Amino acid sequence: MIGFLQPLALLGLLAAGIPPLLHLLGRRQPPTVVFPAIRYLSAAEREHSRRLKLRNLLLLVLRVAAIVFVVLALSRPVVRVPAGSSHPPAALAIVLDNSLSSGAVVQGRSVFDVLRDRAEAIVGRAGSGDRLWLLTADGIPQPVTQESVARLLDSLAPLPVRLDLDAAVRVAASLVAGTGMPTREVVVLSDLQATAFSGGAPADARVLAFEPPPVPDNLGIDSVAVEPRNWSPSGSFLVSVGGEAARRTALRLYLDGSDVARTVVSAGEQVSLAGTARRRGWLVGEARLDPDELRADDRRWGAVLATDPIAVRADSGAGSFVREGITVLQEAHRLGSGDAVVLSDRPAGQRSVVVPPSDPAMVGALNRALAERGVPWRLGALLQGEWVVDGGPVGAHGAAVVRRYRLDGSGTVLATVGGEPWLVRHGDITIVASRLEEGWTALPTTAAFLPFLEALVTRVAVTVSGMVSARPGETVRVPPEAVMLALAGGTVPIAGDRRLVAPLEPGVYFTLGAAGDTVGAVEVNPDPRESLLAPASVRQLRASWGAGAALLGAAAMDRELFGGAGRLALATPLLVAALATVIAELLVSTYGAARRPA
Amino acid sequence: MPRRLDLLDPYEVAQLGGLELVARGVVEGFLSGLHRSPFRGFSVEFAEHRPYRPGDELRYLDWKMMARSDRLFVKQYEEETNLRAMIVLDVSRSMDWAGRGGRLTKLDYAKRLVAALSLVLLRQRDATGLIGFDDDVRTVVRARARYRHWWHLLAAVAGLDAGVGTAAEPALRRVTDLLRRRGLVIFVSDLLLDRELALRALQFLRHRGHQVMVFHIMDPSELYIDGPPEARFQDPETGASVIARPRELRGMYEETVRATVLRWRAACRGGGMDYHHVLTDMPFGYVLRRAAARRSRLG
Repeated sequence: MIGFLQPLALLGLLAAGIPPLLHLLGRRQPPTVVFPAIRYLSAAEREHSRRLKLRNLLLLVLRVAAIVFVVLALSRPVVRVPAGSSHPPAALAIVLDNSLSSGAVVQGRSVFDVLRDRAEAIVGRAGSGDRLWLLTADGIPQPVTQESVARLLDSLAPLPVRLDLDAAVRVAASLVAGTGMPTREVVVLSDLQATAFSGGAPADARVLAFEPPPVPDNLGIDSVAVEPRNWSPSGSFLVSVGGEAARRTALRLYLDGSDVARTVVSAGEQVSLAGTARRRGWLVGEARLDPDELRADDRRWGAVLATDPIAVRADSGAGSFVREGITVLQEAHRLGSGDAVVLSDRPAGQRSVVVPPSDPAMVGALNRALAERGVPWRLGALLQGEWVVDGGPVGAHGAAVVRRYRLDGSGTVLATVGGEPWLVRHGDITIVASRLEEGWTALPTTAAFLPFLEALVTRVAVTVSGMVSARPGETVRVPPEAVMLALAGGTVPIAGDRRLVAPLEPGVYFTLGAAGDTVGAVEVNPDPRESLLAPASVRQLRASWGAGAALLGAAAMDRELFGGAGRLALATPLLVAALATVIAELLVSTYGAARRPA
Repeated sequence: MPRRLDLLDPYEVAQLGGLELVARGVVEGFLSGLHRSPFRGFSVEFAEHRPYRPGDELRYLDWKMMARSDRLFVKQYEEETNLRAMIVLDVSRSMDWAGRGGRLTKLDYAKRLVAALSLVLLRQRDATGLIGFDDDVRTVVRARARYRHWWHLLAAVAGLDAGVGTAAEPALRRVTDLLRRRGLVIFVSDLLLDRELALRALQFLRHRGHQVMVFHIMDPSELYIDGPPEARFQDPETGASVIARPRELRGMYEETVRATVLRWRAACRGGGMDYHHVLTDMPFGYVLRRAAARRSRLG
């Protein structure tokens, strides 16, 4: 089979049309010469036209052939022949994709099983002088031999991790390049997901990729977000569904293994599944799609802290609207009564939501109280105007503001008006720049006021610390109070720097304090890019791995493997042929000239 | 020393004046070196014997007298003055062509040659006529022996313009009507005509007892082909054209021309006719002298 190392040079074949074109153009409008003895000319032309035509045709063919030979030589054609097991020693690195997506099942067999068989066959063709490596999704290259590879391959299985093919190929290329052997190849056995390419410098080696097996249409859960973290005792899971399948499928929410909510979704949708905790404490929530050919991305986990309704008190300084609203929420059992969170015109409890005092003379006292609590924010000048709230908890966004204090300081800004802080938080203190009354903002007179108040208490004022999200196997940092990680088989201590490697198995893992109490959780979920199974194009392959990268079927791979020795370059024979053609053209044209009398 | 017009370049000679002046000049120069009539006809009759003198041509020795008397006598002839000659001049379009500047067209050259020939013939008191033809007979001047007849001939020749095609057969048939007695037919043409028909007509004249002289007029540029790398060569008579590359066809063309001339020469001589290949850059005197020498050998 013939291949071309510089296929773009084949465009030069268009130049082969130049001699015929010149011939045709030259014949178009020859000048007219009056010549009485034309009968002699006609006789001569008749007598010798056949020979002339043959000679001209021969010249034309020779000229076209010379151009074709030169262009073909410039395109550097090579003929590859199977090298067999008698090839010269070669360095070969196999990138075997055992990422999450390789677990997809096609025609009753997982993609990974197909790739593993191919890897075994490749290693089986290696000779004793070859050096072989195997790279998998864990990113650690392992030297292999024909003897050890079967055992190693049997131990492999799809992992719920993402494989960055570009990075893996670069590692593999550096391995084979380090050998200094003349034949250096990287073989990629993968489903070649387009999302597995991250870009970067092309690999400095010949990269041969097996044509990926067919992949199914897939649906997966891209993400879940627990809203709020603290359920008192209700909340919701915000679920994003990804993938390429057009079908609709069922989505369920489980809390501690119990089915609490369900709906039907399709790819690209984001839905909220609401639930109520049946017990108090830390719960494991799981969003789950009906199973499809790729099971590993059909489930995603989130941790929930379920508590009684938050005990709230609104004192007189918070204003009548706030007090009435809190009362309504308490009567509806959305909030409880107590001092867990205090809404006032001063920092009045452990957790406070502070609104500006109605009397401007009290602003100074408020600022001093904030300073005593270590809060870096201060109320500044009283401003009047027309603004709209940007951001913030439920109901706040878009609310009109006509009077506010300028908030000076730095820290977490939850909402702004006119580009300036309007709702800020530092630790347990949350500050609103406007009183929640008429004359300050239109928010109290809208239907969004009660949801805003509830969110202000449950999601802003009360936060849950100690939550960490991680990919399987990813190294993450946990809060200082976490000293142990609870696994299925027991607990493991967390190192002093509070860094741990997330388990490979997706799920929720709780962190424990020194007293053995739960202080947080590590949510381990796979990378959503693994759900997109569409393969990359050949162009994308070559952009990432260099122009020499090839996407090959089984038969072509057999020819190409260890192919440095089985490759025959045709450029030199073609150049010789071109030279011979030029000489022949000169001889033919000279022969014609030599027959002309002087 | 006066310049002899018969030996000069024809184009230069033509610049000196009209047909009459050129013909006279050429004929004067031509005849100045001769002792007798150059175009002696077959009807020359025996007059008497005289003793041989050194310098006499040996071919006129009477060998029978020498055998009988053992003395050398030469035969003397009396030329008849009523030889009838008819000049047949081709004035087709192909004759009106010159290969380059500074050269007479074939027709102009032929006109001057015809004027000179007719003057020579009339000077030796031979009746001389003219037929001009292209694709048909254009002009007929009956043969007369009076010297003043030359002016009629000159006027007829001068009045002949280039015609269209070429068909010699009607003109040569017309000669049969005009020459009742045996005579001399002078055929002046570029021979770009139907060779077989023309030869058949000339052979017919020969069979009728006429002497035939063929002047094959060619421009030197017709001996070889030249021009742009590729050109459409067009026949001025028929408009037919051929696209050819002179560089490639040159050898074959020259070979074809050479073969054509040889075929004409062989055919004429095989039929007892004089054939003269005349190029338009040849001095008129050279052509006349060569023709006269040939006539002398025939006689």
